[in-house]
Amino acid sequence: MTHAVLLWRQRALVGVLVRRELSARYRASVLGFFWSLLNPLLLLVVYAFVFTTIFQPRFPGGQPYPLFLFAGLLPWMFFSGAILDAAVTMVDNGPLLAKVMCPPEIFPAVTVMSHLVNHLFALPVLVAAMAVAAWFGAHPFPWTIVFLPLALVPWVLTTAGVAAAVAAGAVHFRDLRDLVGHLLNLLFFSSPIIYSLDGLDLHPTLMTALRLNPFASLVEVYRDLAFGGRIPETGTALTAMLVGLGVFFLGTWVFSRMRDTIVEAV
Amino acid sequence: MKPGEVLFDGVGKTYRVKGRRGRHETLKGVLFSRKGRRKAVAPADFQALDSIDVAVKPGEVVALLGPNGSGKSTFLKLAGGILRPTSGRVVSEGRITALIELGAGFHPEITGWENVIINGMLLGLSRREVEERMDDILEFAGIGDFIDRPVKTYSSGMYVRLGFAVAVAVDPDILLIDEVLAVGDEAFVARCLDRLARMRRRGVTMILVTHDLDMAAAFADRGIYLDQGCVVADGPTDQIVARYRGDVAGDRVAPEKMRNPVRVLEEGRRWGNGDVEILDVEIRADGRPVRLLPSGSAAEVRINYQVHRSVKDFVFGVAWHGADGTMVSGHNTDLDGLDGNQLEGRGQVSCVYDAVPLAAGPYTLDVAVHAKDGLAYDYWCRAGELRVTAPVQWPGFWAPGHRWQGPPTLWK
Repeated sequence: MTHAVLLWRQRALVGVLVRRELSARYRASVLGFFWSLLNPLLLLVVYAFVFTTIFQPRFPGGQPYPLFLFAGLLPWMFFSGAILDAAVTMVDNGPLLAKVMCPPEIFPAVTVMSHLVNHLFALPVLVAAMAVAAWFGAHPFPWTIVFLPLALVPWVLTTAGVAAAVAAGAVHFRDLRDLVGHLLNLLFFSSPIIYSLDGLDLHPTLMTALRLNPFASLVEVYRDLAFGGRIPETGTALTAMLVGLGVFFLGTWVFSRMRDTIVEAV
Repeated sequence: MKPGEVLFDGVGKTYRVKGRRGRHETLKGVLFSRKGRRKAVAPADFQALDSIDVAVKPGEVVALLGPNGSGKSTFLKLAGGILRPTSGRVVSEGRITALIELGAGFHPEITGWENVIINGMLLGLSRREVEERMDDILEFAGIGDFIDRPVKTYSSGMYVRLGFAVAVAVDPDILLIDEVLAVGDEAFVARCLDRLARMRRRGVTMILVTHDLDMAAAFADRGIYLDQGCVVADGPTDQIVARYRGDVAGDRVAPEKMRNPVRVLEEGRRWGNGDVEILDVEIRADGRPVRLLPSGSAAEVRINYQVHRSVKDFVFGVAWHGADGTMVSGHNTDLDGLDGNQLEGRGQVSCVYDAVPLAAGPYTLDVAVHAKDGLAYDYWCRAGELRVTAPVQWPGFWAPGHRWQGPPTLWK
């Protein structure tokens, strides 16, 4: 709890650091902030081309598949991008931590927030893609997309929790940085992002395991609103919220356990 | 506690030695170590500081002295709350700024202006406060139009100037300074020192680490001499600097010369290697020892010594201190151009004053005989005491004869 309070008090600082991170990232590039739009757009074009003209996926998903996949990939990219950056944020900001007195909590938060801003910049592309699909009659426009900010709440909480734990952990266990990529891969394929759980024909034990993955609820809530055009089931929505809160508190608890030794380990 | 106060209460700090990682520092270690092996791979610890008790009063300027690795930087980082003590307690009251690495955290890709805002906020100001001080910061940094360019285009001097300007603009109660004045050109260092002196007059507590002993002696009120994580000596800066110089000089002496090591003869007051011993110190006036001296009268400081090992390289010195430990005056035979011949046996050396124009009050004298490089044979703090008397209680230390002039009608 104190973690959240501290971040709220330091919100102005987090704000300027997020701006710094974003403006520094695009400072030297010609297109600048347009990359936030361009990246997901190019991703969508590639997936659309691959999955419509080169091969048809054999696993079940919604139709049209590129849009289904896009609605799953966007929040995932937010999550995985933030976690990968969180693994190095403490070391990157080592000079600040060691020479200026600033609370280490802010750095994973800044990472999460700057990825969130990037994600928000990508949303117009998602809306535009849905609108184009609706125009050509390929898929009804998901009006529920206006509730998407609600679906982002558990996503942000989960990401912030994992980012805090990974950021603190990576300082002490340098191996974590290599491991995180593989763990993310595992989570990616065990979550219903490139496929849908309904209609998957697998061994019942494996099926149960996939359904128990707490991350699945997050993906489903997001995709129901952004692609399916339906309000998520209460159970799923509630699970997503509980997962978000649980991961946040667990992650910040892990952080608090390692907090005092971060500076010297950096 | 008042703002500006720093308290170390039984503080210890232990680091885990790098390169010899403990069992829990790699995942492999966590996952694959057996409980039975725990003791065998206990990490090697390095005790950087050991049960330190220090209280720094608001407005005090403290210089930390000591060889590399003696714990000076750790002390600073603990005072600044950057590190936490392994044992004991550190309390620093008020706003703290650390001049540890100037411009730490400047991001190369964004402009100086944005960096100043961020750095100021990191140091605890609000955005508006930083903006209010921007003119002041820019004036001190003197980097002109560069403020609107990315920091990566700056010269290292500009970088440091901007870093210093931001750090002092924060207007702290406690300022921690780690060797930062070793960088930058002379003009900039002079300006920094001027700025620090003004902050000091405003009553900012300062703790500084420097290897420039002259600067430490000139700037600080109090010296703390650290070695191997312990406080060796704590007191008026010039005494501590002299003590440290003596120890450093002692270390330089080649072992085959078989000199006695510097040893402490009386804790905190007297040290030296004993080649020459000061037997006693007398303050004399009108041909007899005195404890009271009328201001402005002639006096003599007489030093009786005994040589235990004949030396050619010797300097006699006297330093006068006021009641609060401030050095009033210091002089030695080397500075006065006397070159030693040979010092043997017993003898007597006097420093003769035609007049002692001191203000009324108690004074103490440090008397020393040491080598030219600072190696102490016998360094005796507060070897003599004296009370100067005067019909008027002038404030300050200096009471020169003087008169006032003006139009004859000005005074009754």
